[in-house]
Amino acid sequence: MGEQHYVDHDAKSVVIVMTSGPSAPQRCATPFYMGAILASMDADVKIFFTMEGVKLCQKGVPDNLTALEGGKKVIEFMRDAKSAGVKFHLCRPALPGYEMEVDNLIDEVDEISSGGALADLILSCDKALYF
Amino acid sequence: MECNGCEFRPELYYDKDYQIWVRVEEGGVLAVGMTDISQTIAGKILHVRVRRPGTPRPAGKPVATIESGKWAGPVPNLFDCIIAGANHAVLNEPALLNRQPFEAWIARVAPVGRLEDALAVLVTGKEAYAGYCERCRRDEIECKRL
Repeated sequence: MGEQHYVDHDAKSVVIVMTSGPSAPQRCATPFYMGAILASMDADVKIFFTMEGVKLCQKGVPDNLTALEGGKKVIEFMRDAKSAGVKFHLCRPALPGYEMEVDNLIDEVDEISSGGALADLILSCDKALYF
Repeated sequence: MECNGCEFRPELYYDKDYQIWVRVEEGGVLAVGMTDISQTIAGKILHVRVRRPGTPRPAGKPVATIESGKWAGPVPNLFDCIIAGANHAVLNEPALLNRQPFEAWIARVAPVGRLEDALAVLVTGKEAYAGYCERCRRDEIECKRL
């Protein structure tokens, strides 16, 4: 029996900082896939969308975007992560730069947060990943 | 029994989203597996990892983690339990979950409280069949086996 088949980790907190967006669709599935795995392994996972990543939280964007041609929509990867327990935070200061309004966001967003909230998360979490 | 090509077994217990099935085994231990719906949504399953036997799992904390090429997520757990064992055949050949979802159990768990209390949060029989078919219709799921 291979030890790799067993999960032994204690609960940890992980922040995934998502800066990639529609200009790099091939980078827009793995962060959610990893978030779903981490949450399934008991980690408290938050994905913080900032810079171009905020575009993935705009209605009509992730449901028309695939990481691979003909592949699964990015919104489905996002929903898989949510189903596994991942929380989505959106960077409010990044919205004006992408001409986004808070009333045109996908329902999956849990919180609209300040830059300071991201700083708090990074300083307090066990692991931070950047995509 | 089936709905949209998704096999259903009325003697098993299910969560209300029909992601997992639960079978009562000797000594009040419960075997947990994925439904035909879940294996279809996941696609070809590549990796399965189970919490180490002896690990307590409170309600809401997954018993295992599943990965396919396009999907990753938990095998959910709805009641307080302790991991009693893992199915080594599935761990070594995860695609068994796609081929034989109702034979290929993933983990065995022992409820911490009374067996009846653990089963009370699940559905079975006709009620489960109605819900299973409703899920297939609502989400337009047509099951496929590898």
